Amino acid sequence: MTKEAITVIIRNQDKINTPETIKQHFEELGYICSDSIATAVYLACHLQKPILVEGPPGVGKTELAKKTSELLSAPLIRMQCYEGLDEAKALYEWKYGKQLLYTQLLKDQLGDVMRGAKGPDESVARLHQFGDIFYSEEFLEPRPLLEALRTDDGAILLIDEIDKADQEFEAFLLELLSDYQISIPELGTVKAKSNPLVFLTSNNTRELGDALKRRCLHLYIPFPSQNIEQKIISAQVPELNTELSQQLVKFISELREMALKKVPAVSETIDWARALLLLNVEQLDQEWVKNTLNLLLKFQDDIEAVEPEINNLLKAANKTH
Amino acid sequence: MQKALGDFIHALRQAGLPISSAETLDALKAAQLVGIENPKVLRHSLGMTLTKRLEHRLIYEQLFDQYFLSVTEDESNPDNLNTEPDSQGSAPESSSPPAQQTANDQTPAELSQPLQSPLAQQLMDNNPAAQQVMIASSAPGAGAQSMSLFTQIPMVSYRIMQTLGDQELLAELAEIREDNPNLAALLEERRSNLQRQVRDFVEQQYLLFGQGEPQKLREDNLQKIKLTNIDHNNLKLMTELVQKAAKKLASLHSRRRKITKRGLLDVRRTIAANAAYDGFLFHTKWKSTRIEKPKVMVICDVSGSVSRVARFLLLFLYSLQDVLPRVRSFVFSSDMGEVTELFETQDMESALAKVMQDWANMPTDYGSALATFEDLALKDIDNRTTVIMLGDARNNNIDGRTDIWQKVYQQSQRVLWLNPENKFSWDTGDSIMSEYAPYCSHVETCNSLRDLNRILGSVLKNHR
Repeated sequence: MTKEAITVIIRNQDKINTPETIKQHFEELGYICSDSIATAVYLACHLQKPILVEGPPGVGKTELAKKTSELLSAPLIRMQCYEGLDEAKALYEWKYGKQLLYTQLLKDQLGDVMRGAKGPDESVARLHQFGDIFYSEEFLEPRPLLEALRTDDGAILLIDEIDKADQEFEAFLLELLSDYQISIPELGTVKAKSNPLVFLTSNNTRELGDALKRRCLHLYIPFPSQNIEQKIISAQVPELNTELSQQLVKFISELREMALKKVPAVSETIDWARALLLLNVEQLDQEWVKNTLNLLLKFQDDIEAVEPEINNLLKAANKTH
Repeated sequence: MQKALGDFIHALRQAGLPISSAETLDALKAAQLVGIENPKVLRHSLGMTLTKRLEHRLIYEQLFDQYFLSVTEDESNPDNLNTEPDSQGSAPESSSPPAQQTANDQTPAELSQPLQSPLAQQLMDNNPAAQQVMIASSAPGAGAQSMSLFTQIPMVSYRIMQTLGDQELLAELAEIREDNPNLAALLEERRSNLQRQVRDFVEQQYLLFGQGEPQKLREDNLQKIKLTNIDHNNLKLMTELVQKAAKKLASLHSRRRKITKRGLLDVRRTIAANAAYDGFLFHTKWKSTRIEKPKVMVICDVSGSVSRVARFLLLFLYSLQDVLPRVRSFVFSSDMGEVTELFETQDMESALAKVMQDWANMPTDYGSALATFEDLALKDIDNRTTVIMLGDARNNNIDGRTDIWQKVYQQSQRVLWLNPENKFSWDTGDSIMSEYAPYCSHVETCNSLRDLNRILGSVLKNHR
């Protein structure tokens, strides 16, 4: 264990002392997870390493960070990545407006200071006595990364969709991820008051650099097994009757076997379950599936491919009852 | 534990996983943290620290099971996994199967004659766990962890048997065979059992430590082999190599960006830059970054004269289009057709099959092919386009329409001609390479993957 252990972790020691307890606590919060997810969070907390979470969209990558922040009752600081994101938006920014305003206001005072100085050399020497007032903490506008480092008790930092950011930005993150510190040219190195717990998520639109991967624990979240998905549904939509939810989970897993542009993820399953509940559906049948298919599939091509197969899929879903 | 983990990581590296020493340290810390009581948690933990890709994770899981679970499975005692990583000296006593012990109990008096050689005594004790330990501890000395070829297995097995004291056992066997044939038969049987055990063990070690090297050797050789001699068994591996090369090219492309003096005014940075001038906007800052994506057009000759390499050239074409944005692909023998869409919509096998069926093995006619190319694509060629021709310039003595090729050369940024034939056979027979050569920025012989890789690499480096 390193010296500057995360305060929130010490405080919540009892909630995270084994992967098993983490899993149980997550379950209480309504987040059903697999063993590997619980192990990842456990390791991240104790080794103080960032987790890189990969997996298809909609399997709960972002949700994991949110629930962890809930579990540890630490603030969640989220940074959404996109192409062209630079350090001015991610790390810090000087308050230029304020700087300008202050120079205007201080003009007269500067005149007073300068009065009586002989020649430019002396004026500059006098100015130097004041230090860099305009580039000090007061004029610093913290952005998510800096904010995470300055949180007293440690925070959960979620760097969402890192693959959307440019390669340069990835390199810039390396210092933060391995040493929890950041260099600001005007101020020097800012060290974390208490190390944040970092989650990075990626949809794999681009291959991430090895340097970044090396610094992280790598967690791949696949689509959940039928068993776990069933649990997720009953945690998220408890009003739905068990038989229907079983049928629904089987139907979805059959659907995932098909060659579709985008297969339905867990979030779609939950949406669908909620919709079926709202519509008071008792039993999945062809008509209902057909009418609600657009909740599951987001491409017209996919819908057209699935529609003629609905009957077969339903049969397969009902078979093992 | 450190040694067991170290060996395991060595085995992973042999299997081709890139594991850095920092990751090794992480894995060790993780293993210390979670302990080794729960194999499932250990498996997840090591996986997260050691492998950073899904493909690697699958290989890892396979190896983990092979490495840490194989011995225990033999003894049908998976709960004892935790003792196994340290196979040097802690094989569980309890795991000797009871069935054999009862067999031992019933040993008739004539079989209990005292034996001299240590190995014979061991065999009479009949404790498989202890034997396993013996085998494992003599393995490194016999070179079990440095095998690189399958043929070394018998030799290493023999060496292990020798270390265990096989010679004395054989001598003793010969002695007692006459006085006590029953005992000798029993010993014989146990000896062959032991031999089998040793062999199994060595094979397992080979799988763990040995596989990587020959694979590397083969990949290296493949890069050097001429495209014309690649047999079909290796085609799959070849595809992967091509994809690797093409991926390298793609990543080179995506990194190239350029900041221009045009675009939107960046108000924030402009004010910041001009704060020193009392807020007067002296220096303007612009925020436009333009990602430069070169256009590539590839023309591939699939006529009879290049039929032997055509399939491979197409393979490269297909992979290139797969990984590079904005590649347009054309094929021809006498007529030319664009296959960009075909390549986009179909998987590799069926796309190549269709191309070979529709276009290949007809007599070559560069003239008419280029005429079609003029209609199809000439207007889209601009100064950022690279045109690549894969062909042998054997034109059956017809007019080659070099005038079109000249136009292509003038309009494009660069024209590459990759000829699968060696330089000395250019311009022999019906080859008209020298007629096209003035209108190409590079003319290169290209008949192995290494050539292809080098040529395309250098082309992209010179790209400005």
